[in-house]
Amino acid sequence: MHRAACAMAAADSKTDLFDGILMAEERFHGEGYQDGYAEGNRIGVTEGRIYGSLHGARIGSEIGCYLGFALTWQCLLHKCTNEKHSKKLKALESLIGMIQKFPYEDPTYDKLQEDLEKIRGKFKQAKTGTNIQHWNPAIGIA
Amino acid sequence: MRAGSADGSGMAALTLSCRLAAHPDSRCWFVAWSPSGALLASCGGDRSVRVWGRQGENWVCQAVLGEGHQRTVRKVAWSLCGSYLASASFDATTCIWKKTPDGFECVTTLEGHENEVKSVAWSPSGSLLATCSRDKSVWIWEVDEEDEYECVSVLNSHTQDVKHVVWHPSQEVETTRDPSLTLACQLLASASYDDTVKLYREEEDDWVCFTTLEGHESTVWGLAFDGAGRRLASCSDDRTVRIWSSDEQGEPGVACSSTEPSWKCICTLSGYHTRTIYDVAWCRLTGAVATACGDDAIRVFEEEPLAEPQHPTFALTAHMSRAHAQDVNCVAWNPAEPGLLASCSDDGEVAFWRYQRPECC
Repeated sequence: MHRAACAMAAADSKTDLFDGILMAEERFHGEGYQDGYAEGNRIGVTEGRIYGSLHGARIGSEIGCYLGFALTWQCLLHKCTNEKHSKKLKALESLIGMIQKFPYEDPTYDKLQEDLEKIRGKFKQAKTGTNIQHWNPAIGIA
Repeated sequence: MRAGSADGSGMAALTLSCRLAAHPDSRCWFVAWSPSGALLASCGGDRSVRVWGRQGENWVCQAVLGEGHQRTVRKVAWSLCGSYLASASFDATTCIWKKTPDGFECVTTLEGHENEVKSVAWSPSGSLLATCSRDKSVWIWEVDEEDEYECVSVLNSHTQDVKHVVWHPSQEVETTRDPSLTLACQLLASASYDDTVKLYREEEDDWVCFTTLEGHESTVWGLAFDGAGRRLASCSDDRTVRIWSSDEQGEPGVACSSTEPSWKCICTLSGYHTRTIYDVAWCRLTGAVATACGDDAIRVFEEEPLAEPQHPTFALTAHMSRAHAQDVNCVAWNPAEPGLLASCSDDGEVAFWRYQRPECC
């Protein structure tokens, strides 16, 4: 019984040695893969961060345009008392309110796209009849 | 030309009464009857709108509105008073034409959509107009006594090209139990390439999409409310017509209150059409449903009288298989004369049909 176990142990160390040589390529592939994966992960996170900040800046810029437009026209119109202008003012106030309520700090906000579309829709409505009727900041930004 | 019902037993017939080369060398995209039923407006790929009136047995062109658009005119709609015609065009504008003793004159051009306008519709109140476009949005415009139009809402609820908009036929909708809950509440429906139908109403001074009807497996091309506004028919590229209802728990009436009415599909007509269904029309006078199909055919369906209101069944009562030489784009029931149906096609023609109801109904 004991002799059989020794023979088996000897055989094991022999196979390990062969295994080591035969499996070298596979082992190096494996290690290379792990290194590459980790490196790719790091680069991906950096790239993602850059993309995120670019995209965030684009949205920020777009909404900034809408806010600038709305505040300017609100200022221009607030002295007017006629019915038509008061409707326009209401639309502008609604747009300003939506922009101020928008959660800039939270990219995981579940209604982000929906609220953004509502802001875009309100801007399109508010700009009809003004001199920038044909201008669309969402398209203009590269 | 007569066409009987599919099973041969019915007494229904669809007979051709007149055919016009309305938009020669072009497609005719849409036809709309004036509210009195005396005039038919058609529009097409030749960038014009034509208005047809009856002269004896025939229909003749009474006006050509040719100077309004730079591209195809996709839809036309009459105002409820019959004095105005709106035309929606691929040139991204909507023209409003006023009927004068000499013809029609363009009084306003509505701009704002980013690309092709696909549909236009006047609300029953007469003070609102809805347009929709390939830019995925639905716009609502308000018109005042001085014919001034103002955009009151831009709705970006759809995720794709919006093909059609239609208003609920009532100005007010009410619940049957409590008359004090009658609200002046207008409802708008839109159909899209995103396979859904969306419903909109005004909430706290702003228009919102309050529900989305899902079920179609492809583009929804057309919509039609029944006369009472209790049900909505939709037709699709998936070759089915679906009937939707908002009746709750068997109570008749459309509830437009603070509780959410839920719209659900109560009937699907499948297996009848071999191609895309481009339009559906629900007759206010007779309740018959007509469809315009890409297989060049016109079909008419009638509701079986003994079915439960919440589980209706419709039978095919007429099938005109070569109604036109090409795709049928539109069907429209005359609002005053029961059984008079107009249709138009990619072949540029407009056809008038007489539908005789089956005697068993």
